[in-house]
Amino acid sequence: MKKATTLKISISGARGIVGDSLTPQLTAVLAQAFGTYVGGGSVLVGRDARASGIMLSEAVSAGLLAMGCRPIAVGILPIPSFLFLTKALGAAGGIAVTASHNPKAWNGLKFISRDGLYLTPHQTDEYLDIYHQGEFHYVPAEKFKSGRVETDAGEAHLRKLLGRFDAETIGRRKFRVALDCNNGAGAVLAPRFLRALGCEVVPLYCEPNGEFAHDPEPLPENIAEVCAAVKSSRADIGFVQDADADRLAIVDEKGVPIGEELTLVLAARYVLSKKRGSIVCNLSSTRALDDLAAARGVHIFRTKIGEINVVEKLLSARPRAIIGGEGNGGVIDPEIHPCRDSFAAMGLILEALAEARGPVSALTRTLPRYVLRKEKIEGSAEWAHRLIGLLKKRYEKEGIINLLDGLKVDFADHWIHIRPSNTEPIIRVLAEAKTEAKALKAIESLKRNIAEAGAQL
Amino acid sequence: MTPTLVMDFASAFGSFVDRRPIILARDPRVHGPMMRAACVSALLSSGCDVLDLDICPTPILQKAVGRRKAGGGVSITAGHNDILWNALTFIGPDGTYLNPFQGQEVLDLYHLGKFDKAATDDLGRLSFAGEDEAVGPYFAALGAFLDIDAVRAARFKVVIDACAGAGSPFLARFAETLGFDLIPINDELNGFFPHDPEPRPRNAAQSVSVVRAIGADAGFLLNSDVSRISLISETGEALSEEFTFPLVADARLARQSGPVITNFSTSRMIEDVARARRCPLIRTKVGQSHVVLSLGQEDGVIAGEGSGGVAVPAFQPAFDGFLTMGIVLETMAHTGKRLSALVGELPRYHIVKEKLYCPPARIHGILDKVRTMFRGQGLDTGDGVRSEDKRGWIQVRASGTEPMIRIVAEDLSKDRARTRVDEILHAVELIQR
Repeated sequence: MKKATTLKISISGARGIVGDSLTPQLTAVLAQAFGTYVGGGSVLVGRDARASGIMLSEAVSAGLLAMGCRPIAVGILPIPSFLFLTKALGAAGGIAVTASHNPKAWNGLKFISRDGLYLTPHQTDEYLDIYHQGEFHYVPAEKFKSGRVETDAGEAHLRKLLGRFDAETIGRRKFRVALDCNNGAGAVLAPRFLRALGCEVVPLYCEPNGEFAHDPEPLPENIAEVCAAVKSSRADIGFVQDADADRLAIVDEKGVPIGEELTLVLAARYVLSKKRGSIVCNLSSTRALDDLAAARGVHIFRTKIGEINVVEKLLSARPRAIIGGEGNGGVIDPEIHPCRDSFAAMGLILEALAEARGPVSALTRTLPRYVLRKEKIEGSAEWAHRLIGLLKKRYEKEGIINLLDGLKVDFADHWIHIRPSNTEPIIRVLAEAKTEAKALKAIESLKRNIAEAGAQL
Repeated sequence: MTPTLVMDFASAFGSFVDRRPIILARDPRVHGPMMRAACVSALLSSGCDVLDLDICPTPILQKAVGRRKAGGGVSITAGHNDILWNALTFIGPDGTYLNPFQGQEVLDLYHLGKFDKAATDDLGRLSFAGEDEAVGPYFAALGAFLDIDAVRAARFKVVIDACAGAGSPFLARFAETLGFDLIPINDELNGFFPHDPEPRPRNAAQSVSVVRAIGADAGFLLNSDVSRISLISETGEALSEEFTFPLVADARLARQSGPVITNFSTSRMIEDVARARRCPLIRTKVGQSHVVLSLGQEDGVIAGEGSGGVAVPAFQPAFDGFLTMGIVLETMAHTGKRLSALVGELPRYHIVKEKLYCPPARIHGILDKVRTMFRGQGLDTGDGVRSEDKRGWIQVRASGTEPMIRIVAEDLSKDRARTRVDEILHAVELIQR
């Protein structure tokens, strides 16, 4: 196997390790390519709460200024607020300095179009062509712009959210909410948002300083503290945001995580209870969504992994999509903005809870349930590609093959999925089944087959 | 000047400074924000904390570096080049320009291209200066160093042309510190210079007319980072920038004797001043870093150049336009003499300066030819080629900042100075052809 690189430039933007592959120089050049791509104008520059965010934001600004762009510094901002504001301000685009849930040593850039969406794969190709050609549009002195600072940059998104959700109905229930922002970007807005909805907030790690208090992946094992806080404070619900606040994990009133797969299922069921429309999600999202779509008699569309793929389908789906997202706790409410938004997710779930009158555990009890096993193995994308070629032959006769993104195989009572990560030099391996035992069996069998196939490479 | 080029230089300096804090300032040029962002990023990445003074004159930055015991400073400016040419000036831990040896070390690091890169937890931190970090202490020190009571009592009216440079936001503070009536011109920051930012008579038309119209006691013309100034007398005469240094030196040497440092291109007036005060004069290569290095080595009491820069180490070993203006006003107050009278006491020489484009690869060969022309005529090769006799001198040297050959001649006779410069211009043109 070839040595995995610490720099990834892909559909998800660029990611690398600070002090190693991700230097100010590289970052400035990436920004120059973007400034050339958008052809000048205002470009938002924001960041998640990571310590390296300031250093990299300055590099981004330098690259943009040299291209005659006007950087608008929005500081630490949740990514959904950033996407929303890019569109709301009519900017030419945005660059967010973030590495989402990657470990602390990592950081990266995400590129955002004037629509407030991540660049589509086609746009990314155009952008990367400019980057690789290295022919940037330097402007003469008289075309240089100066940047500006946007204070309280989350305000626009907040106003939109409060216009969408029924603060009166939610407020009447006087929910107590345990909120774990993991010291990420969500902390700048989440407590304010929940209080505006009439909730009492029990804050955990609400300092946006980038010092992750726990592994930023909102898996049950990483969020034990908020579970304990729900119990000790007798909260109605616990919310956990990921580092850039696009994803949400939920803890019920007993202090038990409902599983991040169910965040979207819960939100989708509530939205579908109000009106009919399609669901859009990626290949790895739980089968519970298919069950939900079947029960309501609506369409479900599945896409490649990567938020932008879900968003593109969500915007083009007919019948029109009314909810979308990913199994990792990312909920897209097109009424707010076509992006994963933990705030929209909180709003939908609190509204559902307010209307249901029961506790969270009662809401989730009636959802279709599956058990998902996720693992990762080390390996380059190129190796994964050859591996998948071999595995495809192995599974062809047993299940329904889907090669849209890596290899997904659907069986009657379970599915498996293997694909290289877009953001890290690893290969993701997933299996979902009705029970823990069956899911475990499925993933073990998949891993055995990978090992066998790998030995042939 | 691309962002990555700026970053490479700043990274080299950050590696040189080795994780100690760095203070950053810029002049208001339109490239400033880009260069500032590139510097901040590179310096943080090299593990240095950065204190950002935003738009701030270089001498204030230099004073802050020395006072705060920082690891160094970066001033984003280009002292005397026009707006398209922006550059980084590196300041060492003692608040002076990097000396030529330190400068070479930074350049070596730049060429090596292996810069210190801090991991996330070791990155430098960025902070923004308030009143107490740099500006407040600077003007407090300036007020303590000068006889402000005498200046205040004189109730001077003073015109200052900041040329929309880094000094612009600080003129009022300066006037308040010394207690004079300020008539500021060109003190708006828009990133563009209203005229060539070189303090010299041909750029003084605006200030001259204002000095005359309001009957001011003095006028000052600043460069973009307030390191150098030229004077306008109360009669409305725009004085050559060559007068600044001898005028201030005479006043300082009256109080404190010691070596006087200047470069090989500076007017002979300083020789007459130093001789009258019985102080030795030492000449070095051109440039603040050279004269300030010599200032330390020779234990000098004052250093300056014909371009209007003066350093008084008793205040700080750096060209400081505020201090220079302060000493001029203080001298006027102490002596009771008008500026034209003070200047009238200085011997008058005639200086002719020219510059000529020359590809860098050819400069050395041309200087070699010029040297043979000067053989046996008081030849000195300390900086370029210089020839001196009883009536005057002529110097031919490569510019440190542009692909140019500079020719300066000074003589008791204006015609002879002109003739000697023309001879060289003609000869260089022939060689180039």
